[in-house]
Amino acid sequence: MTEVIFYVFAAILLFAGLRVVTAKNPVHAALYLVLSFFNGAALWMLMQAEFLAVSLIVVYVGAVMVLFLFVVMMLDINFEELRKGFWKYVPVAGTVAVVMAVEMALILSHRAAQIEGAGLVDHPAGYNNAKVLGQLIYTEYFLPFQLAAVLLLVGMIAAIALTLRKRKNTKYINPANQIQVKRNDRVKIVSMPAEERPSVEAPKADDGQA
Amino acid sequence: MITLTHYLVLAAILFAISVFGIFMNRKNLIVLLMAIELMLLAVNMNFIAFSQFLGDTAGQVFVFFILTVAAAESAIGLAILVVLFRGLRSIDVEDLDSLKG
Amino acid sequence: MNIMTWSSLNAGVATPEIFLLCATCAILLIDVFLSDAKRHISYVLTLAALVATGCLLVAGYSLQPQLAFNGMFIADPLASLSKLGMVVGVILMLVYGRGYAAVRGLFRGELFTLTLCALLGMMVMASAVNFVVLYVGLELLSLSLYALVALQRTSSRSTEAAMKYFILGALASGLLLYGMSMVYGATQSLDVFVIAQKIAHDEANRLLTVFGIVFIVTGLGFKLGAVPFHMWAPDVYDGAPTLVSQLIGSAPKVAAFAFIMRILAQALEGFAFDWRSMLMVLAVLSLVIGNVTAIAQVNIKRMFAYSTISHMGFLLLGIMAATPGGYAAAFFYAMTYMLTAAAGFGLIMLLSREGFEADQIADFRGLNKRSPWFAAMMLIVMFSMAGIPVFIGFFAKLAIIQALVGLGLVWLAVIAVLMSVIGAFYYLRVVKVMYFEDPTDTAPIAAGADAKLVLSVNCLLLLVLGMAPDRLLTALTTALQFSLHPGL
Repeated sequence: MTEVIFYVFAAILLFAGLRVVTAKNPVHAALYLVLSFFNGAALWMLMQAEFLAVSLIVVYVGAVMVLFLFVVMMLDINFEELRKGFWKYVPVAGTVAVVMAVEMALILSHRAAQIEGAGLVDHPAGYNNAKVLGQLIYTEYFLPFQLAAVLLLVGMIAAIALTLRKRKNTKYINPANQIQVKRNDRVKIVSMPAEERPSVEAPKADDGQA
Repeated sequence: MITLTHYLVLAAILFAISVFGIFMNRKNLIVLLMAIELMLLAVNMNFIAFSQFLGDTAGQVFVFFILTVAAAESAIGLAILVVLFRGLRSIDVEDLDSLKG
Repeated sequence: MNIMTWSSLNAGVATPEIFLLCATCAILLIDVFLSDAKRHISYVLTLAALVATGCLLVAGYSLQPQLAFNGMFIADPLASLSKLGMVVGVILMLVYGRGYAAVRGLFRGELFTLTLCALLGMMVMASAVNFVVLYVGLELLSLSLYALVALQRTSSRSTEAAMKYFILGALASGLLLYGMSMVYGATQSLDVFVIAQKIAHDEANRLLTVFGIVFIVTGLGFKLGAVPFHMWAPDVYDGAPTLVSQLIGSAPKVAAFAFIMRILAQALEGFAFDWRSMLMVLAVLSLVIGNVTAIAQVNIKRMFAYSTISHMGFLLLGIMAATPGGYAAAFFYAMTYMLTAAAGFGLIMLLSREGFEADQIADFRGLNKRSPWFAAMMLIVMFSMAGIPVFIGFFAKLAIIQALVGLGLVWLAVIAVLMSVIGAFYYLRVVKVMYFEDPTDTAPIAAGADAKLVLSVNCLLLLVLGMAPDRLLTALTTALQFSLHPGL
């Protein structure tokens, strides 16, 4: 039974992953990425890593992918233009990827790469994956936990510093200033001596030929 | 029987797909960013597989941190992308040609 | 369940980092309430924080390594000295870049906070002895740098550079992580010392470890900008605002050295035979491609980028030797290169002014007639980079070559020397342009007195250190002796 579940999810995961990088439209790519994260999470669940499976869905599907979708839709991109010459790279990139995948698979499934005694542990009843991880993160991994907070702060500062801008062309009014306005601010009477009207020069005769 | 190797090979194929994506999407920056997310998914798969099959929780903690870092990373990446798009009106990598030499 | 207390964390060991983090947060908050006219207050506060961090580092210096934070953080001489180098590098960047940043609208709070966060990341990289902490430190540095490169939003060149830097940086992190996951699988530990122990007792899976090392070395190659993973370096150096180029080109190289030491020399010491050959290929390619391509450059920032690539080749040669002498030589190289690169970029910023980037080699024409003093300073920097005797760069190269010859790798030493000779060509071309051509640009040098003073001291230091290189080298060698085999 486990085998069937594994192969189904793995197949969907690989298919979705392949579609992410070959999809015509980035919105489709983002949605396929959601699908691959979802299947990834299911596989992690199969390995009994519940907490991370749930966080993958919450953090990635819930936050990061929405961010991606927002950006794709915010930017007005001509996708047709981006597709030009896409398939030109397939022979080279495809060969490299297939060779790489086969080589990596061969190495990893080689007898020398097997680790003795590897197997899923049957946890006793009441075992809580989230609790175990939480205890580690808040005690032993105190330092990286604090540093991760700094990292998120950097992300925040950077995102704001890079994208926040004051729009120069917005025309807004401040009612307080409008109320406080005085007569002298609106009209200023200047006394000037009367001037003679300057004479207008006559247009030149050869204007059309110039 | 699903063994550790099954998960490792799955992660390796996923890794290769993301490398393929980075090669292929030389024009489309946003898909390039998604390919990098796929690569991290492959890495996370490795860590969790090792962690669960070898009975050592540290690997899962690492995944937790990778998820955190990757979220901050994509925020910055997308911010740069937005700034870039405002300047160039394009996310085509081939339009990134003002730096040559 | 073990109870965690403040004293069991031994957090006092990390006082400089904790202070730096608190100061960064304070500066971030204070800066919000400052008007643009008072921005120099944050600048002064930033410098004060940096100097105080440096003092804390000096005060806490001890030859005996100390572990903290449940064995994830180590304060050993290697970490302390490299941190001191990084603090100096960041101070130099801020002092040289003040005027440059001010006229380009970069003199903002984010510049200071992000720079300080980058420094924190580097300090963590130098002290981390756990893969998780190493990774988080590296990302703290990288994320801050991506943002800093893109900080000049009006310049499409710098945004473009930031995007390239980001994509390749993220790819490098992915490769590095894949490698780390394999090493984790092979040894079932993320702790540097435990990994080393398991490898020494032959409890690690050899195939998986070597497979992981391939990815780790590739990731490190990307991060260092070693050939064939160097394509981002020239674009980023060229496109980024010069003060950020200076930051990228100086202090992180020291951090990278410490980072490589932790992963390759400490954790994976038992597999030195495997990673040595990979580093050798990277080093030779970097030396050859870096130096040959640099000759063709007319843009001095791009020229520095290719020259950095070749210097990274030298650094890798030292690490590749995998002997205490080689490591010490590489450490010496990283520290002195940091000072030299900072001065080089400082001089570019010195000649830049509002609306004008002195980023072409032609902009240095006739500098001798405009300012004989700074022409002499540039001469020192160029001679030091080229490795001409008396200047510090020569002794750095000499130490590496001695380490190679000591191992019997004479052919590598010959390649290194040959490539330095080729390299000398393009450095001397800058000198020729400064002394034997007439100035095309006659504007007075606009930089402030502080930048001029510090820059002069920095350049003269390259000469003074060259008078007594042995003392520095001995100090670094002792530091490494106590760090690499602490007997914990």
